[in-house]
Amino acid sequence: MGKWIIPGAGVIWLLGCFLLLIEYDLETEVALLDSVFFSLIFLGGVFVLDRVFGLFAPKGKNVWLLFAVPFFLSLMGVLVHFYGLSWWYEGEEVYLGFLSSNFYLRWAILALAEQLVSVLALVVSKLERQEEIQKREAQMLQLSKDAELAQLRQQLQPHFLFNSLNSINALVISQPQKAREMVLQLSEFLRGTIRKDSQTWISLEEELNYLKLYLQIERVRFGHRLEVDFEVDQEFLSIKLPQLLIQPLVENAIKHGLYGVTGNVKIGISGKKEGSYFLLEVDNPFDPESTSAEGTGFGLSSVERRLFLLFGRTDLLEYGPEGNLFRVKLKIPQFQ
Amino acid sequence: MIRTIIIDDEPLAASIVQEFLAEFPQFQILEVCQDGFQGLKAIQQHKPDLIFLDVQMPKITGFEMLELLDEPPAVIFTTAFDQYALKAFDAKAMDYLLKPFSQARFKQAIDRFLESWEIGKAERGAEPELSQLAEKSNRLVVRVKNDIKIIPIQDVAFFEAEDDYISIHTPSGKYLKKMTMKTLEETLDPGKFARVHRSYIINLNGITGIETYERDTYLVKLRGGQQIPVSKTGYSKLRQVLGM
Repeated sequence: MGKWIIPGAGVIWLLGCFLLLIEYDLETEVALLDSVFFSLIFLGGVFVLDRVFGLFAPKGKNVWLLFAVPFFLSLMGVLVHFYGLSWWYEGEEVYLGFLSSNFYLRWAILALAEQLVSVLALVVSKLERQEEIQKREAQMLQLSKDAELAQLRQQLQPHFLFNSLNSINALVISQPQKAREMVLQLSEFLRGTIRKDSQTWISLEEELNYLKLYLQIERVRFGHRLEVDFEVDQEFLSIKLPQLLIQPLVENAIKHGLYGVTGNVKIGISGKKEGSYFLLEVDNPFDPESTSAEGTGFGLSSVERRLFLLFGRTDLLEYGPEGNLFRVKLKIPQFQ
Repeated sequence: MIRTIIIDDEPLAASIVQEFLAEFPQFQILEVCQDGFQGLKAIQQHKPDLIFLDVQMPKITGFEMLELLDEPPAVIFTTAFDQYALKAFDAKAMDYLLKPFSQARFKQAIDRFLESWEIGKAERGAEPELSQLAEKSNRLVVRVKNDIKIIPIQDVAFFEAEDDYISIHTPSGKYLKKMTMKTLEETLDPGKFARVHRSYIINLNGITGIETYERDTYLVKLRGGQQIPVSKTGYSKLRQVLGM
């Protein structure tokens, strides 16, 4: 319970008792002592009950404790109060008569109040525990989300790396300058995938530059077969988006383009504003006749998962064949 | 002269094979192909002694191309994917070069080839038993004269054994592929296809009815109107997968 609730209840209890006793024509001093003592007993009871039911929640067979504990505690309280004051004011017959006449009334009031306090303590502790659990769950979720995001982002196709190294191997003798260039491009690309500040969003311009780096490497591998067409307006270059969201889409398009059809492959990448979204489209040639050997692949599902983790939505990525093209549409929330 | 063909969709990857192979004057490169279609044509035309074959290529994979050859030459696989090594071994490949590979490793592969070449084994000796490869796939690649046709597995109504071949019945026609029923059965998803008879495997999706034919034999009716005989064991299998 809140820090101020118990002392506050004590003060109210004290004031109530005192005024009531004055009303019963008790002397101020006697009324004050009586009410202070009674309040302390009340506070002691509240303290004990708060401790007991804050830590221990009676369940099933033990529910009777929720009623029995305040019942006996209040009985003990009024007995202590009664005998304490009887001893203190020994011989003052009028007051002692008053004290014994309202013994059961006091017990009833104290029992009722403590009963209420017990139930309250129980409810509050339950709520607190629930809140605690929720907080911990939220933390766990965030942690696993971060880990999964990092893992998804770093999911590098290992054969991309091996094939690139193979190309470098081939270039070393015939075109050493080009081999060196490719080593640098590949390093820069790899550095991008293991960037530490992975949670920060980057500008579209940065993402596109990164994409171009990737495409340069792929161009070395596949030569003239691969052509890429960029169509993104200058005005969008400054918009922000999560890192490495577009690259897997392009990688997927290249993979399916290059392995799905023979001959030259043209990958189209375009970006525009659509409502409150930045809409990015990636398309690759597609042969409706042939079945891919390995389905839509890991690329798209990993982007879908990331979008869900980032935005909690599953409707931001759409894909499917459109005639002789396979088109992927990515919507990134922007322009609020 | 040992006549070779290189099949790889990455020009640089093909060029490194060319470069390394130049060290061995007894080899002659007849053609460098960029996909399985060109490769198939070149192999049929030149009948090479040895091919260097990439796995991941446009439209059809290196393995699928090999399946289409009646008399495959000796093969050295060159690929960045190590998960195909076992399959390549089953295909009786000469060797399996993981990209990127060194000149020393390349020489080792060539030596291995030359060894069996000299004792005359490499010459058509390494008859691949591709039919022994049991890998789940969602498509079949068949040869129709000089064309290649890719059949999505779900389009197949049923398979019928015909001597060394299997005829693949689809709504668009019937295709032949050299393969055994046992291998085929292993590559198919048992939840979608069932071998109901020694000579028949049917697509469960296409079943429209089952009727008793004679005592202990049944007939399955398919969507295309065909009637397929079902053996006694086939029937109990069918009951099991269909949950009858």
